[in-house]
Formats: sequence, C-alpha cells, structure tokens
Amino acid sequence: MTSQSQGIHQLLQAEKRAKDKLEEAKKRKAKRIKQAKDEAMVEIDQYRMQKDKEFRMKQSKVMGSQGSTSEEMEEQTREAIRGLRGSYSRCAEGVLTQVLSMVCDVQPELHANYRAAD
Amino acid sequence: MALNDIEVQKRIKHMLAFIEQEANEKVEEIDAKSEEEFNIEKVRLMQTQRMKIIEYYEKKEKQIEQQKKIYISSIRNQARLKVLAAQHDLVSELMNDMKVKLIRLVENPEVYQGLLYKLMLQSLLRLLEPVMIVRCRPQDHLLVEAIVQKVTPEYMKVSQKQVKIQVDREVHLPMNTVGGVEVYSGNYRIMISNTLESRMDLIAEQKMPEIRKALFGINPNRKFFL
Repeated sequence: MTSQSQGIHQLLQAEKRAKDKLEEAKKRKAKRIKQAKDEAMVEIDQYRMQKDKEFRMKQSKVMGSQGSTSEEMEEQTREAIRGLRGSYSRCAEGVLTQVLSMVCDVQPELHANYRAAD
Repeated sequence: MALNDIEVQKRIKHMLAFIEQEANEKVEEIDAKSEEEFNIEKVRLMQTQRMKIIEYYEKKEKQIEQQKKIYISSIRNQARLKVLAAQHDLVSELMNDMKVKLIRLVENPEVYQGLLYKLMLQSLLRLLEPVMIVRCRPQDHLLVEAIVQKVTPEYMKVSQKQVKIQVDREVHLPMNTVGGVEVYSGNYRIMISNTLESRMDLIAEQKMPEIRKALFGINPNRKFFL
C-alpha cells in the first residue's frame, strides 16, 4: 500500500538525516581537536618569544657587567703594581747593600768533615 | 484487524520524532565530548611545550653563568700574572743595579786584591786537589800570579797537603767578567766557579725569598713561609 511505503520512506529519510547529523558532528569534533593543536601552537609561540626576550635581556646584562668587571680588575692590578714599585723604590737600596756585602764576605774554610790525610 | 491509516501515521510520527531525538542527543554528546577533548588536548600540548621551553632557557642561562665564571677567573688569573711579571721585572732591575755597583766596587785595587785572595783560597780549600789551575781575567793575570805565591803556603798550612798551583796561561775568563777566578783540578775535570757574578747569582738565588720579602712585603698567600 502506498501509505506503508510512504511511511517507510519517511523513516528511511529520517534515519539518513540522523546519520548525516552524526557524521557532521564527528567532523566538527575532528576539526575542534585540530583547532586545539593550532591554538596551542600559536600560544606556545608567543610564550617562546616572551621567554626568548627575557633571556636576551639577561644575556646583555651579563655581557655588559663583564666590561665593568674587567675595568675594575685592570684598576686593581694597576694599583697593586704601583704599590710594588713604591715598595721597591723604598727598599731596593737597603737590599742591594745587604746582598753586596754578602757577595764580598768571602769565608775561605775547610769542610766540617775534612780530616788531613796521614 | 489492520491498523487504520491515522494510527499508522501517528506511529510513524512518533518513530520519526524518536529517531530525531536520538540523533540530537547523540550529536549533543559528541559536541560536549569534543569540547572536553579540545580543552584537554590544548592544555596538555601547552604544558609539555612550555616545560620544554623553560628547560631550554634554564639551560642557556646556566651556560651564561658558567661563561661568566670562566671569564672572571681568567681575568683574575691574567691580573695575577701581570703582578708577578712586574715583580719579576723589578727583581731583574735590582740584579742589574747590583752588577753595576759590584763593577764599581772592584775598581778599587786594594779592595779587589783582598777579595781575590780570599776567593782563591776559598776555591782551593774546596777543591783540595794535588794539582790545581787558576783561571782569571787577562787583566788580572799578573795580579793573580803574585797572589798564588802568597796563597800557596796558606793553603798548605790549613789543609796540611802538598799542592802545585798554576795560573792558566792559555785560556782566560772573558774580559768583561766582573771579577774573581775559576779553579780547575789538574786534568780540568772538576771546576769551581768563584767569579763575582757566579757568587752574586748563587746568593741571589738562595736569598730570593728574603729579597722578595724585603722588597715587596710579606706575601699573605704563603702559609708556611719561615
């Protein structure tokens, strides 16, 4: 009977529509998950750039301080050498006289264990 | 009894509604789940990547710290070396000045003669050979010949030994030697250097710690200096 087949036709169509709806939903789900990846990537890139900027700032700060540290060291070294020279000019004369007197103080002597041969 | 058309229609309408409702519920379920998974996945990805990034930059920061330490240690070392080099230069200056003073000292013939006598006697008493040869500067040759005459009996008295002392006629010390003598055993195998510069070098070497202390003060880094 026509009404029967009409009814069946309607049911079949409804099932088809339902199936299509489900397919679409599944497609949306897959798309959503891909979106998760994409959005995550974008935010991660931003994060990375932020961190990189922070790092570079630290780096340039450290490099900068190195310059001033070496300056300080240079100054300290110059200071130390000045001190050496000062001390030398004060004491050299005395030391020289002392050493010279030692050079000229010749003591001819026999070895302590020497025994005259028979 | 067959169901009449209206009943059938009604039934079909119900079934259609049911199918649609089921589909909608399932779709809702799928959508809800997909949101959930979206969030989970996004958070998960971000956390793992974030940790990796943090680790990476922490490592780089450590590297910088290390480089800094290496740099500081190297300039400190350089500084130390510079100071040591300056000390060394000053000590060399002292030695040169000493040599100059020494040269001036031996220009006095009386002083030099006395010194030469003692230097010779000292060398002879060290060597204690039966035959000994004295080598001197060419300009001292005559002086040394004379001194040998005086030193031989003195030597024999102190050592109680017979001896023959000669002055080397063939080879002399370089003319620019400050002074003093070299004494050889008869076969030239043993040599005693008693020139003024070798004395000066010996004394300087032995007394260097005290010389440094006198010139530059006590070194605070030395723990066992007597």
